[in-house]
Amino acid sequence: MGRRFVLGSERVNVSSNRYEMLDTFTLFGVLCVILAVVLANPPNVAAHGEAADEPFLKNMTTAFFNVSVSPTEIEVGEPVKVTGSVKILETWPHTLETPEIASIMPVVPGPVFVLKERFVNGTAAIGSFFAQKGGIYEFEMELVGKEPGDWHVHPGIAVYGTGTLIGPGEWVSVKPSDEPFSFPLTLMSGETIELSTYGGAFVWWWSFAGFVLGVAWILYWTTNKRTVTNLAVTVQLPVNDDAPDIGLITPRDHMWMNVIVGVTLVMLVVGWTYATSNAPVRWPQQTDWFTPEFISSGEKMAEARASEATYDEASETLEMKVQVTNVIESDIELKQLTMAMATFVNGPEAEQAKAGPSDFVGRLEVQPDGPIAPGENKELTLTISSSIFSEERLIPTQAPQQFIGAVLRFENGNDGHELVTVRSNVVPTQFRSTYLP
Amino acid sequence: MATETTTVTDLAEAAERQRRLELKELLNKKYKWIDWKWDLVFWTTAIFVVAGAADITKQLFAGDWDFWTDWKDPQWWPVVTAFATIIIPSTLQYIQWAAWRFPTGATYTACCLFFAAWVGRYFQWDLAATYPMNFVWPASVVCAGILMDWTLMKTKSFILTSLIGAHVWAIAVWAYNYVPLAAFLQPAHFMDHVVTVADVQGIAYIRSQTPEYLRLIERGALRSFLGETQYVSLAFAGTAAFVGYWIGQFIGRYLAVWPIRRYLKTV
Repeated sequence: MGRRFVLGSERVNVSSNRYEMLDTFTLFGVLCVILAVVLANPPNVAAHGEAADEPFLKNMTTAFFNVSVSPTEIEVGEPVKVTGSVKILETWPHTLETPEIASIMPVVPGPVFVLKERFVNGTAAIGSFFAQKGGIYEFEMELVGKEPGDWHVHPGIAVYGTGTLIGPGEWVSVKPSDEPFSFPLTLMSGETIELSTYGGAFVWWWSFAGFVLGVAWILYWTTNKRTVTNLAVTVQLPVNDDAPDIGLITPRDHMWMNVIVGVTLVMLVVGWTYATSNAPVRWPQQTDWFTPEFISSGEKMAEARASEATYDEASETLEMKVQVTNVIESDIELKQLTMAMATFVNGPEAEQAKAGPSDFVGRLEVQPDGPIAPGENKELTLTISSSIFSEERLIPTQAPQQFIGAVLRFENGNDGHELVTVRSNVVPTQFRSTYLP
Repeated sequence: MATETTTVTDLAEAAERQRRLELKELLNKKYKWIDWKWDLVFWTTAIFVVAGAADITKQLFAGDWDFWTDWKDPQWWPVVTAFATIIIPSTLQYIQWAAWRFPTGATYTACCLFFAAWVGRYFQWDLAATYPMNFVWPASVVCAGILMDWTLMKTKSFILTSLIGAHVWAIAVWAYNYVPLAAFLQPAHFMDHVVTVADVQGIAYIRSQTPEYLRLIERGALRSFLGETQYVSLAFAGTAAFVGYWIGQFIGRYLAVWPIRRYLKTV
């Protein structure tokens, strides 16, 4: 039975309070343990957030095709090639800034790889380049595995004012290696450095030396003088009175602070002398923005215009009607449709396998299938059923810009091809009630 | 008449001398309950608040310049870093000088910031995100803090400290951190270009959401100053630090001390 106290008019049962507190502490303890277990073994984040982007940010902006990530199993220190092309579409949304500057890079979960080579349209690209609507940019990047693990590797194109738009990805497994990761870099002086660690120890010890001086400064004041009780004195003095006669700041204090400042200045001079003799040639950081060489969409062979499209969310099926006119003297055929990071192939599985990372490739059904004769105008019905639409949120179903953009690849029998961009309004076949805005 | 005036003056001076003697006695008073442990608790607990405030302010205004070596350029880095890092040290300088007549506020903040920044960089960026420390090391402002506190101790004036100390701050922050940065500015051959070691770090260690065009560095626009971008920037950095200093003073005077004084008066 608990002891009872009377506080004012309140009766307090001490025992029951103790149990309540015990319960609270137990609950708190259990929560702490759960939190510790969760934090001790955090799962790796594998996705890049592209599905969260609005559909128009993906299908109206860019189209990635012929993407290859190879090999998909390496050891730390071994290379992976990422190649492919990206087209900045003519359907670029009016709600985004017109594309002018872009940068192509691998999209990976942090620096689990290092980037060793990058070419855009054949030019080595250390930074960004000038881009435009309709531009096609072929890229070739060499990555080297740095951290063991299974990593999703995508190519991406960042466009100024828009952000990073990513292409199709592939899982790459990086196994541990007997040799530790190494990144040798040869300076213009001829010296070869290890980039992973170069200068790191000096940065730390140099910063720490300054920190020690600062701590000495603080300890001088806090151990020789009282802090909290000084307020009783300082509130009775003007703020610019350091009161040496009272003992707030004495000539001895000045002397020791002069010593620390002197040491600081000496340290700066010694540091500068060391730094400038150790690295006598220093450059400003380099910047190189260039205009990539023009890459054609291919020989002019077709005029295409999408007239309408429907999307059935339940079956994840897109149906698009396209008016096509053959404008050359030989037969042409529609072989591929590329939307954002996904490519759909009008052909057998062998052709699909060559079109890009398998998770982002699907089948394109064309009706009526077959060649389009010279001068012929034909209405094609393109049908695609694929889970990519919902997984990557490619199709708008209730958006202010209810449009889709895509690139059609026409081929003739002589290894010629043309990439034609089409844009269509898309109408969902099912309209769902919504109770929340 | 003159004698009377002299007498009054003497009396006033004597009273002032007496008052200061009493203050000296008060300063050296041995408190029974408010002993040194209160000081220890105060200084220790304040570390986290001050470190947090300084680090957040720095990251808010100079985040990328402080995070990456390839952003530590001659034009922007000295200016934004000087401005971003002086605000909270100035605040603490006012508080610690006004409350205890300690010229320690800037140095104390700089030491707290050193602690927070290195802990953050090591655990979050090196261990968790696997960026090497030689790429993401934080700039240190301890040396600048010492020099600015020293300026206040010598001048006993916040106005003079803002005029002299802020410029000293800007130069010291740059000079102190240029020493470790120098090695990363050496030219190397990479991707068919001659670039600095810092550039290679920026290219090689992938930052998918920080494309190169976002990097605010010198791109040649200040080259009309006989190529001396660095000195033009440092001059402007001093001015920017002066502005930052008074923002910090505003925070110290009107957001920190003034409300406490109002409360104390009502008690």
